[in-house]
Amino acid sequence: MTAVQPTAMMSGRYQRAFTIAVVFLVAGWHLAGAGGQLLHNRLAYGSFAFQAAMWLIMALAITAGSILALRGTPGWRPAWAVAVIALAASTAAAAASPAGQMLAVNWSWGSAGWTGVLVLLRRRFAELAWFLAAEALAILGVQVRDGLHRTDLAGFLAVVAWSTGAQVAVAAGVRALDAAAGQAAAAAQSEHAARERAATAQIIRAARHARWLALQESAVPLVAELAAGTADPGHAQVRVRSAIQAARLRRLLAEGDEVPGSLLHELHASADVAERRGVAVEIETAGPLPQVPGPARRVITDAAIAILTAARSQARITLAAVAGGIAVSFVADTDAVVRLPAVGEGVAIEQQQDGGMLWAEARWNGT
Amino acid sequence: MERHVTVAIIEDHPVVTEGVASWIRSDPGQRVRLVQTARDLTGLRAAPRPPADVIILDLELSGELVTTQIPGLVAAGYRVVAFSGHSDPAIVMETLDNGAHAYVSKEEGREHLVEAVLAAGADRPYVTRSQARAMLADQRPARPALSEQERQALLLWFQGMSKASVGRRMSISENTVRQYISRARAKYAATGRTAPSKDALLVRAIEDGVIKPGDIMPYKSFARAAADRPSLGAPGR
Repeated sequence: MTAVQPTAMMSGRYQRAFTIAVVFLVAGWHLAGAGGQLLHNRLAYGSFAFQAAMWLIMALAITAGSILALRGTPGWRPAWAVAVIALAASTAAAAASPAGQMLAVNWSWGSAGWTGVLVLLRRRFAELAWFLAAEALAILGVQVRDGLHRTDLAGFLAVVAWSTGAQVAVAAGVRALDAAAGQAAAAAQSEHAARERAATAQIIRAARHARWLALQESAVPLVAELAAGTADPGHAQVRVRSAIQAARLRRLLAEGDEVPGSLLHELHASADVAERRGVAVEIETAGPLPQVPGPARRVITDAAIAILTAARSQARITLAAVAGGIAVSFVADTDAVVRLPAVGEGVAIEQQQDGGMLWAEARWNGT
Repeated sequence: MERHVTVAIIEDHPVVTEGVASWIRSDPGQRVRLVQTARDLTGLRAAPRPPADVIILDLELSGELVTTQIPGLVAAGYRVVAFSGHSDPAIVMETLDNGAHAYVSKEEGREHLVEAVLAAGADRPYVTRSQARAMLADQRPARPALSEQERQALLLWFQGMSKASVGRRMSISENTVRQYISRARAKYAATGRTAPSKDALLVRAIEDGVIKPGDIMPYKSFARAAADRPSLGAPGR
């Protein structure tokens, strides 16, 4: 029911930043590096138009790969489709380049490798290794077909050493950063949770102690008066006092099953204020209750406060599990007109005034 | 035309016994007559025939939960109204399943206890808010299927509305509200372990037109099948 896990969200933000950096790196390389080399050597190719077409195909593959990578880890089919298109275009461009000048005029190897890095970055490392190995084989294949010029072989080794090395380094670096971000986020989260738990425990302890002290001042004297016969149980005011003290005692006993931060806990806190004003508040639950998100809880507790403030002497709050959500209802004796919003944050509120009794129900559906 | 309903109070705290007796005394129609009070169940077990129509039974006597004693009391011919400080739905369900007519929590006593005793005396269903709560919270596999209207009436009643207000909310008469709630209760009487008190309640509900025999037959057979398997027969825990 919890909507987002903060740890995953936090490390997800870091991962996205790393992906954006890789997208810029790959796009920058293809535009400035490969594109610059292509234009600079435009006269050296047999067909510049063909080279330009291959460059364009790779640009499209990089665009598609960027979109895939920014959406999360791509599936193997789209990832490998992009990688294979880039590799095919690169190999075609290399095959159409003049033999013996490979190192000087071939623009495409780097771009193909970087495209592979872009789409295979967060898939298994072996996939990237296979892709880079396939690229190296393709380059070697083109050179064997051209007759293995010495300069080209030197170029091949340079590509493997420099270009592939850089690509592997970037991929490994991003993976390491991903892991570090995950750890940092988890550490921050657990520290935050521990601090929150400690603070909540402290608040609950303090509140409970305060209420216990208050009971010493209010319930104990009442019991003493009843025992001594100075307070008459038949008297309306004594009955109201007894009802309030009983409600407080009940809540003190019920607090064992409170969950910090839950709706029930917050409703108890709202009831506290009304009780101090002399309103006897009952809170009951029925069924296993779902977790309600923060904004929806606020709408419900706001309604509770509005109604409890208007209550004359008694109020009943119930929380019931209903199909797909929760129904929180309030019944209070009041003649005041309480205006509640009809809807907000996924909570629908209905109300009915019946004589001196107000009924209102806030329903949240967990969808 | 209604004769007195005779009642016995089984309660280990004399102060509570006194309180219940005062509610019975202050009933304007004097419809209930208190014939016996006891601090435990030994006196009732010894009696050759029931001295009272209804027993108001505190579920915790000398620190011990006595829900398992209810079938014996019911078999001896008593109608049992549980009166307890507990409000755990599982205990409420167990109490009803064992054959108690109604469950009245100590907070509800002033408003509901005398009425619940009268209803039990006539074998008619009586549903307090704590009972409605337990029915709404019931997650057992063998629970009866309630209609949407029955469930809504139970929910509004549990929430704290008067039956008249529930009727206005649901655009039905107060009488129909009673009918829905009683029918839900009767469906529960048709499930789980069998008890003479439950049969009596069902027969009366059918006579009163609260429920049709056809409404409960499938549930009854389902419940019997469930009762044959002990794991489903015991409610809650």
